[in-house]
Amino acid sequence: MGLLELRHVCKRRTHGGRTVTVLEDASLSVDPGELVAVWGLRGSGRTTLLRLAAGIDVPDSGAVFFDGRDLAAHGEEMLGRGIGYCQKSFRTAAPDRDAIEEVIVGLLVNGVSPGAARARARDAVERVGGERLARRSMRELDSAERIRLAIAHALALGPRLLLIDEPVAGVDLHQRDDVLLLARSLADEGVAVVMTVGELTGLSGADQSLTIGDGELRGSRKRALAPVADLGLRRRASG
Amino acid sequence: MHSPVNWALLGLVIDRPSYAYELAQRFERTYGSALPLSSVSHAYAALGTLKDRELVEELPARKTGRQPKPHYRATAKGMEEYHAWLIGQVADERRRQKVFLLQLTTLTRNPCNAMQILDDYEQACLDSSCTAPIARGAAGVPSSALELQAKLIAEEKRLAIGAKIEWARFARGELKAFANARANQAEQAGDAPGD
Repeated sequence: MGLLELRHVCKRRTHGGRTVTVLEDASLSVDPGELVAVWGLRGSGRTTLLRLAAGIDVPDSGAVFFDGRDLAAHGEEMLGRGIGYCQKSFRTAAPDRDAIEEVIVGLLVNGVSPGAARARARDAVERVGGERLARRSMRELDSAERIRLAIAHALALGPRLLLIDEPVAGVDLHQRDDVLLLARSLADEGVAVVMTVGELTGLSGADQSLTIGDGELRGSRKRALAPVADLGLRRRASG
Repeated sequence: MHSPVNWALLGLVIDRPSYAYELAQRFERTYGSALPLSSVSHAYAALGTLKDRELVEELPARKTGRQPKPHYRATAKGMEEYHAWLIGQVADERRRQKVFLLQLTTLTRNPCNAMQILDDYEQACLDSSCTAPIARGAAGVPSSALELQAKLIAEEKRLAIGAKIEWARFARGELKAFANARANQAEQAGDAPGD
């Protein structure tokens, strides 16, 4: 079983009284050290897919497993405890705060002691190549620097699975590849990375390139996953 | 002149006047396995052809004491024809793509078959997108002509594969609509009273 598994997931959303199928029977398996890039148009369900993988949203049917655990039973509790989630735009309530302080605050909120938080924040910022942004205020950061900081924010909590929503949105052409290389290097370090992209050039360097749209998640090269019901039977039998 | 190797050699002579052996070496460095040169003698033969067509001319021999190596440079005609040949490649590529699309769409009589091929085509494009290289230090200006060349080729590959993936998505939608319309027509024909 992969570190992250979506098994026959269906998800519908209602917009203005109209129900839209975001995902229909979508399956995906992601191993540690693997980079998965998902391309889709605006409104195709890219963010919903990541929210399902993070345990923020629950499928209407099918299941999402992280490290063998059904996220429907754990809700968002795996966030910050194995799963890191970088939202599309990294916002802060304190735009004048130093970037590194922002990472430290994130750690303190998650119960890390102040001394450990400072060291871990510094390591995480270095890991994303963000030494130059550490002492600048949030207000001064451009899109690429903000996404680096968002990744550092998530990395500081030591995730095994990192979900990054549109890391190259609004990032200029020259910095785009540096951000993609950062995602690649994190996967090479052993983190399972799933990121969404709005441009097809963002698929470069991934281990699995997928597309999402019209309710379909296409392109997974992994073998067909067993139905959830079968998995349940096996788990009960082995338990 | 149809040989792409000959045209590629002409391009190298335009870039810098050269002699056959050096040209063969530059050719291998530049094109690698993308366009193999069968042997060094091919470069000698190609230079003969290019000279006969007045696309290159021999430079006056230098007095080196050794047996002189004939150096060649491009003529104005050579530069003009090389330019025209390069631009002509766009039309050739479109023709190849059109043949492929015609082959694919001949299967629309059986939408299931066409859909399967389209799925496989999209998967091949997605797999290919994974291997599209990302230039390290992309933010900087390339420090050499070779680095610039690699960067330009990488970006073209990424954009071209992206266009194919988008096209596959579009084609799938069209194919589905077409199959549904046919199914409706067949259903209506089945419901109509017989003569």
